[in-house]
Amino acid sequence: MNASRKFDPYAYVWRLPLLLWQGAFFVIPLIFMAAMSFWLVKNYRMEPTFVFDNWERMLGRGAFWDAYWITLWRAVLAGVIASAIAFPASLFLAFRLTNSGRRFALLCLIVPFFTSFLVRAYAWQVILAESGPVNAALGGLGLGPFTMLNSGFGAMVGYLTLVLPLVVIFQTWSLAAIDKSLIEAAGNLGASAWATLVRVIIPAAKTGLVLGALFAFIMTFGDFVSPFYLGGSKPPTLTILIIDTTKSGQQWPRAAVVAIVMILTLFAVATAAVKAAYRGRG
Amino acid sequence: MNEPLVQFRAVHKRFGTYVAVKSLDLDIQRGEFLALMGPSGCGKTTTLRMLAGLEAPTSGSITIGGKVMNEVPPHRRDTPLVWQSLALFPFLSVVENVEFGLRMRGVDARERRERAMMWLGRMDLKGFESRRIDQLSGGQRQRVALARSLVTEPEMLLLDEPLSALDAHLVIRMQGVLTRLQKELGITFVYVTHSQSEAFAMADRVVIMGHGAIEQIGRPREIFRGPKTRFVAEFVGRNNILGGTVKAGLMDSAQGPVSVPAPDGPAEIVVAADRVTVSRNRPAGTAIQASFLSEEFAGTGIICYFETAEGAEWKAQVSESQLAELQPESGQSFWLSWDPARAHVMTG
Repeated sequence: MNASRKFDPYAYVWRLPLLLWQGAFFVIPLIFMAAMSFWLVKNYRMEPTFVFDNWERMLGRGAFWDAYWITLWRAVLAGVIASAIAFPASLFLAFRLTNSGRRFALLCLIVPFFTSFLVRAYAWQVILAESGPVNAALGGLGLGPFTMLNSGFGAMVGYLTLVLPLVVIFQTWSLAAIDKSLIEAAGNLGASAWATLVRVIIPAAKTGLVLGALFAFIMTFGDFVSPFYLGGSKPPTLTILIIDTTKSGQQWPRAAVVAIVMILTLFAVATAAVKAAYRGRG
Repeated sequence: MNEPLVQFRAVHKRFGTYVAVKSLDLDIQRGEFLALMGPSGCGKTTTLRMLAGLEAPTSGSITIGGKVMNEVPPHRRDTPLVWQSLALFPFLSVVENVEFGLRMRGVDARERRERAMMWLGRMDLKGFESRRIDQLSGGQRQRVALARSLVTEPEMLLLDEPLSALDAHLVIRMQGVLTRLQKELGITFVYVTHSQSEAFAMADRVVIMGHGAIEQIGRPREIFRGPKTRFVAEFVGRNNILGGTVKAGLMDSAQGPVSVPAPDGPAEIVVAADRVTVSRNRPAGTAIQASFLSEEFAGTGIICYFETAEGAEWKAQVSESQLAELQPESGQSFWLSWDPARAHVMTG
């Protein structure tokens, strides 16, 4: 018998709290939500039953699909833009700083999380307002004023505020972990700085780069604050659709349909991304 | 003699306040197998990295093929290096690893595949071309690294302790592969190692470095039998060193008077362990007394360790039958003797 396969009560005791937590606050609510999506609301009260009315109503509506595609598109865009903006910074942090300098920089990247995202979104409302400092500065150059709030641009500013520090952390961590002799070997075999970046550094850091973009996608896909407070709910995203549905006539079952579609989408994207991130690895 | 392929002239290399290499003058000939050997921190790896352009000398000049290379970046040189860690690209297949140098030189896809496959065949790696690096054994990876470095047909190959991660039996096999390859290709190999068995087995010439400077350059046998400095004598082989002042062919060493064929004045002699005879009774001629400490089985025989009354450690190599005859026990006193004519008098 393999000793490691034997029942080890000690190991199970340590795993138990996590299992209980996940069971009580994730698996059971998820099952409840899935069941609820087949219930009906009558006189503002939910009645347990098993009908497909909510699913037909939500998935048959053009507005739902409009919200779905705009949410998906914005999440993809935020993942791409955040990765592109973060990459030069991550290269600098990974290759131009000493170990202690890099530790300090990563600590600084955690500091934004000390403040609630809602507070940071309000701060952007002031900065991006019609009469805010950005427009004042642009006005001094004879430009604007621009409408930045309550638009796709405003929402994207919010998304990037939310995800950029995390993407930089992921990228820096994976770039700094590259074996330095691989980079030297590339130059030694005739690769210019650019060829080394494209042919060696990016492939070697692929796992962290993909996971960083995936996290940006996941957080943007489920964010409610940015599209609501900075995007002005125009057009509504899936998160805003959930709020609206629950507010109008206590339609919790229909909101559950939206939530389940979101979870399935995230699951599919995350599975594909993780597969891509680790492809070609042992 | 032809002009040397590589010339180091008064090369210094400092890292901050640390001097890694100082006043280095070295010529490397075309087609020779040169080993740079020394303890860690002696500057041998820095010297190799300067040759590859991975470090720039602080002062002095390095010429390759008559051209000063100090400021030429690594990718504009043709000085492939085999890393101690091999530095194979884990995200590329075996054949893609080998092709890398050709791809960077803009060789078209068909030709580079052909040349890479030729080298894989030459390295006994046919059939492994589409494997990932982590699916290969240590010896196979070694050969991939060699193929990747040699595929561009360079004039010179640099090797940084490439065998230090291999099992002992593989080291011997790879030494054979390397020496045969170097003879067949006729190119220059510059091989950095701290292992004297590797350096002496493969190299045409060995450079012993210590504290950032060259201590001695010579053929393996010259260095083995004729160390010029105390540093080399202590680093190379199993040597016993004895110092004192010579007067009329006799040195007044700490172990008593010994016969030394050297002119009058201070001198140091080196007696190799395999030239020491161990006996219980005082033999005729030059001999010193020492007590037995322990024995150690080495590849070529048994090394017996002794300590003189003055606390100096002496080593003597004996055969198994000699050991059985002597039956030494710790603390017992023995006489160590040698032929004075075969002791090496250090001049450095």
